[in-house]
Amino acid sequence: MAAATVSLFDDEFLKKLEYLSILSKRLFAGQLKAERRAKRRGTGLEFADYRQYVAGDDFRHLDWKAYLRLNRLILRLFEEEEDLPIYIFVDASQSMSYGDPSKFDYARRVAAALCYIGLSNLDRVNVIAYSNRVKGELQPQRGKGKIFRVFKFLEEMTTGGETNARESFKTYCTETRRRGLAVVISDFFDTSGFQTGLDILRHFKHDIFILNVASHEEVDPALKGELVLVDSENNVSREVTVTPSLLASYKTEYNRFCTEIESYCSKYQLGYVRTVTDFPFEELVLKVFRQGRFLK
Amino acid sequence: MTFLALTGFQAALLALITAGAIVALYFLKLRHRRMVVASSLLWARVLDERQAQSLWEKLRRVISIAAAVLIGLLIAMAVGRPEMHWLTGGGERTLLVLDTSPSMLARTRDGSTRWQHAVTAALRTVNASAPSSEFRVADTTGRVDAAPTTDRREIREAIERMKPIAGTARFPESDSETAHVRFITDGVVPLPMPKGAVRESVFEEAENVAITAFEIRSTATSALAYEAYLEIHNYGKQSRETRLTIAGAGGQHIDRVMDLKPGGEFGEPFDLSKFEGGGIRATIQAGGDSFSLDDIAYAYLPVERRAKTLLVTNGSPYLEALLDLDSLVDVTVIKPAQYQPDPAFDAYVFDGFAPQNAPPRPTLLIGEVPNTNWLPQTKGTIARPHFASWAEDHPVMRYVSLHDVLLEKAARIENTNFKVLAEADDHSPLILASDELQRPKLILLAFSLKSSDFPLHSGFPLFVDNALAWLSREPLALRRQPGLVTVPLAQAEIKALNGDVLKSHSRGDTTSFDAPEPGLYVATHEDSRQYLAVNLASPEYSNLNNTVSQKDRPAAVTAGWLEQELWFYMIAAAALFLAIEWFTYHRGITV
Repeated sequence: MAAATVSLFDDEFLKKLEYLSILSKRLFAGQLKAERRAKRRGTGLEFADYRQYVAGDDFRHLDWKAYLRLNRLILRLFEEEEDLPIYIFVDASQSMSYGDPSKFDYARRVAAALCYIGLSNLDRVNVIAYSNRVKGELQPQRGKGKIFRVFKFLEEMTTGGETNARESFKTYCTETRRRGLAVVISDFFDTSGFQTGLDILRHFKHDIFILNVASHEEVDPALKGELVLVDSENNVSREVTVTPSLLASYKTEYNRFCTEIESYCSKYQLGYVRTVTDFPFEELVLKVFRQGRFLK
Repeated sequence: MTFLALTGFQAALLALITAGAIVALYFLKLRHRRMVVASSLLWARVLDERQAQSLWEKLRRVISIAAAVLIGLLIAMAVGRPEMHWLTGGGERTLLVLDTSPSMLARTRDGSTRWQHAVTAALRTVNASAPSSEFRVADTTGRVDAAPTTDRREIREAIERMKPIAGTARFPESDSETAHVRFITDGVVPLPMPKGAVRESVFEEAENVAITAFEIRSTATSALAYEAYLEIHNYGKQSRETRLTIAGAGGQHIDRVMDLKPGGEFGEPFDLSKFEGGGIRATIQAGGDSFSLDDIAYAYLPVERRAKTLLVTNGSPYLEALLDLDSLVDVTVIKPAQYQPDPAFDAYVFDGFAPQNAPPRPTLLIGEVPNTNWLPQTKGTIARPHFASWAEDHPVMRYVSLHDVLLEKAARIENTNFKVLAEADDHSPLILASDELQRPKLILLAFSLKSSDFPLHSGFPLFVDNALAWLSREPLALRRQPGLVTVPLAQAEIKALNGDVLKSHSRGDTTSFDAPEPGLYVATHEDSRQYLAVNLASPEYSNLNNTVSQKDRPAAVTAGWLEQELWFYMIAAAALFLAIEWFTYHRGITV
């Protein structure tokens, strides 16, 4: 996958990605100096506030003009610029292997692009593969030079198992205390409900962005006649006679499902983008994400 | 329900096997194609919702099986040719008689004929009956009388073999097993029917102007001159302008236009002295005529020519002078010792002489009746016989008076199968004739001219003229009606006017052939030839509106609702159900 990813990410596209950065609606505490405004006051260049000088403060930041006017020692505070923790959750359940091209491939390419953008901006990028558990995790990476590690990790990622975002996110978030931007790339076919996983992320105060990936075969299935529909995740089968009216009902149900996700995101002010796998990948990254104010 | 092709057990077994096989096949049919989907989450929601909503979803499999079983059973039971007596009637025998008189060929307002209506009605009657019903179909001319059968194909073929034709009409006798008798007729030729018989009518009023008589006959003045007599009737309800044409073989023709009132008639002799011998055709044209068979008639006008006659005599001045003066006779006179049979002559006249063997041509034998095998036997003589009676209606004796003829003596002839033209007081034949078609004609005088004063009477030249005309002139055509025509000539070849040889069959001394339409035919066998003028010429058939069926129930010329056996409708129903099943299956309504 890495080779394919690299080859698909031609130089021009990568150059375009370098000009992009991931937006977060909230400020998060970083660990290392970086280019992103942090919650903490620090040694950045941007003025943030004043406060009374206390012993121990760096007197280089004393506002001498204020002292002359007010006869009080007042300290100038500056915004700290730190890195942003970005958690990219890639759904690696069996259902993601569906479609041509598969949703999983599409998701990995999006993840790779986002990682590249994050790394270019010196953000701390984490990639987590999950299904009904955390299947794999790429330790935080920083700096553009780490992109190949990301690619390698994504390449080695495989699909399998049922989707249980709640358990997966719960496990991960309890181990990783730092809050950040959580990007969830999934089809959200979760038998326990897509909300349960996202509720966990919300609970841990992450800024959440959702990419709902669907295949064309799911949006407009070309099914007909007497069929046994087999669930790719749990192999549960169901006999069905697919008729035009049933197909219409399915499409209505699918649209309702997507609307539910969108409504949830809207309710909790989560970023949301929905795409199908035959939608051009570059256009998604360069246009749709920017229009959705996820990238700038 | 009973089955014509299966026993009850077989039918039940077939139904069981069919139903079982279909149910088994149905479950085989339910082996659905496996299709892996990303997640059945949404499908499950849709299906659960639909199943919860629809009773049909619960029932449709059962209904699908029921429909499939029904289709299978319909087909399987159709094989057994079922019948339901309450629906189609029982398996009884019906005598179905179709009137095949020529009037059935009258056209009706819809352009078809009464006959076509009758056939349609008959076929519908047959088709609408129970499959086990027996039909015996027969016509009224005795040409078709099929054996009782349930085989619809045989019945149809028998009906299709029938055709209207002139002939002696009779109603077929019904046997004791016949439960119903149905007679489809136009009622123009009434026939006595058995008790309980039902008469169905195909009668419809029709306009018709018809030739009811056409014949060639000798004139009153000469046995050798001919005239045509023709009669025309208007049997319609309206006056008709009618154009008559009588056309001869040499292009001569007589045209006449007449206005015939309803019920009006025309009858007149036509002088044919200017006509050449041969076929004569009379045709009429009248607007709105619905029956063409009687619009044309044929006759034969004998060809006028000099008859080559051989007179064998030791000397007979009366005869020699008479024959010599006859413009239509080319006479050759020889002595008996010079006689040699010569077929080049048209006729022989033997005067006081008779050869040992029969001459090859028609012969007038006068005065000498030796005991030979070709002549009747004689037993002595009769002294001074007197003509007591003679056949005035015979062509030979036409206008001949024998009242004062004195005979000195005559041979006593034992009459065998010769026709007696004149006889003595004691019934001894004095003049005899034989006109069997199998051998040359013969006129025999039992007395000699020398022993009588017959040559001195005015009847003698008439007699000789008549005799030679009868012996050597072409005979007039025999008159027949369309249909099976019989000619009294064995092994005869039958030719139509255009020279076509017709198929014929000979039985005994007669030959028969089919002449469906009016025409002039000639039958020949060796040297014998006989013309036949086949004309309808019958007021009985031409009076199309003279019916006894005016108040009869109309024959079922319109379609009934059940015109096929039940199996046909079962197959049709199966096909319909199959089409519905196919339609609903492909739309997922049924499974």
